[in-house]
Amino acid sequence: MTHMTKLLLSASGLSIAVLGVQPAFAAGTTAGSSITNTVTVEFQVGGVDQTDVTASDTFVVDRKINTSVAEQGNVTTTVAPNQQDAVTAFNVTNSSNDVVDINLAATNSAAAHGGTDNFDVSGFQIYLDDGDGSYDSGDTLITYLDEMAEDETRLVFVIADIPNGRATGDVAGIRLTGTVREGGAVSSLGAAITESSSNDAAVEDTVFADADGTFDGISFDNDDYTVAAAALSAVKISEVLATGYPIAGATEYFNIPGATVQYCIAVTNASGGADATGVTITDTVPADTTFVGGSILIGGSYDDNGTPGDTSDDSCSGGSAGGSFDGTDVTAPLGTVSAGTTEVVTFRATID
Amino acid sequence: MKIFLSFLALTLPMTGAIASDVALESTVLVERSEQMPDGTVSMTLEEPARVVPGDNLLFVLDYHNEGAEPAENFRVVNPLPDAVAFRDTNDAGAEFSVDGGEHWGALSALTITGEDGAVRPATNEDVTHVRWILDRAIPAGGEGRITFRGTVR
Repeated sequence: MTHMTKLLLSASGLSIAVLGVQPAFAAGTTAGSSITNTVTVEFQVGGVDQTDVTASDTFVVDRKINTSVAEQGNVTTTVAPNQQDAVTAFNVTNSSNDVVDINLAATNSAAAHGGTDNFDVSGFQIYLDDGDGSYDSGDTLITYLDEMAEDETRLVFVIADIPNGRATGDVAGIRLTGTVREGGAVSSLGAAITESSSNDAAVEDTVFADADGTFDGISFDNDDYTVAAAALSAVKISEVLATGYPIAGATEYFNIPGATVQYCIAVTNASGGADATGVTITDTVPADTTFVGGSILIGGSYDDNGTPGDTSDDSCSGGSAGGSFDGTDVTAPLGTVSAGTTEVVTFRATID
Repeated sequence: MKIFLSFLALTLPMTGAIASDVALESTVLVERSEQMPDGTVSMTLEEPARVVPGDNLLFVLDYHNEGAEPAENFRVVNPLPDAVAFRDTNDAGAEFSVDGGEHWGALSALTITGEDGAVRPATNEDVTHVRWILDRAIPAGGEGRITFRGTVR
């Protein structure tokens, strides 16, 4: 009598059940959909058409829980020591066949793009992009993604603070972890999801289907911050000028009252690091000397005379007028000192 | 009284069906493959208790002529559920439709016209119906089985 039962099923439930099936998503048929397969046989006996026979079979599509967290792009984020709110971006996707919440957590982790993780960042915060694809004031501080539709992807930004004192090439790995939680309640994080212990063709069970092979509804990805520090060094030299020397006809110039001394400060930013911006030189004019008004020159060149490290034979030249003197200190704004370059400031004072 | 009448209307057509001499049963099983420690892949068939998108399904159609006369011009038609994509069948004589059963043929002979008018060859994904036309009568007491496979979308 089995086929009679099947017949009843097909007569009552067939078309309704098929209509209830949602269009296919990449995440798949919506959980809870019934799939009914119906087969019809037409035949004749003795050349006479007989009533068609149908049979059907129905089962319910279970709930597949799956999420993916993926760093946006595949490059490290370059940061400066003491940088606040350094940004990394992740795409979080609900690959489940149901609406879910996804709880988010950012932690320190291993490096993601080569190099070795050797420091930790702090002050993690997670922001939901407002749709423009960049971290800005329109983004929303969140701890979870609310009511993620099937196949929906949202862009989130993880921001963190970089400690001071890190050197160029230092790496801090971070990790964003997404954990699928129950959906259905707007603006509140749903309960944790557990796999169904029941297993019934007629019931929507819950099954973890993680792509990473660990069946827990948790996905994560790593990213990292790489420090590019500016390594500035300064050299200061002085020489007595022939110009204005108090003894006419002298061929050697000594630090005597009335002589003019040219001070030269050379600021070098080591190559391989970051450009140093907003660099300003402040130097106190020595006691017992008098600053020569308008003598500050910026952007000259520094000549080490072929002997780096030995400043006794070094000299400076050129530059254009700039900077200021407040009666005590010479201030000279250099602006940007690019990595691998040297910027020079000179000024003059007469010995009292 | 009206309720009774409508009940009759529902049951009457089935009385006719039950009187026919061919029994038919449709069964769906889930195909699971498991990598064994020795590297081989073990295939098992299970009841569809736990089914999620991407799972492979085996549809089994069993027919049995319980009558005293041969059943002739025997044709089996199976519309695919929307949530199932056709994969393959054990019967090379199967015919396919990709337009809801209007036109039939070998899958390789069917085409799909896109919204932009472009025509492309039909694929398994496009199949809406499968049918099998048996070229011989099913003798009294005869039975057979047709299977095809699909994937949960």
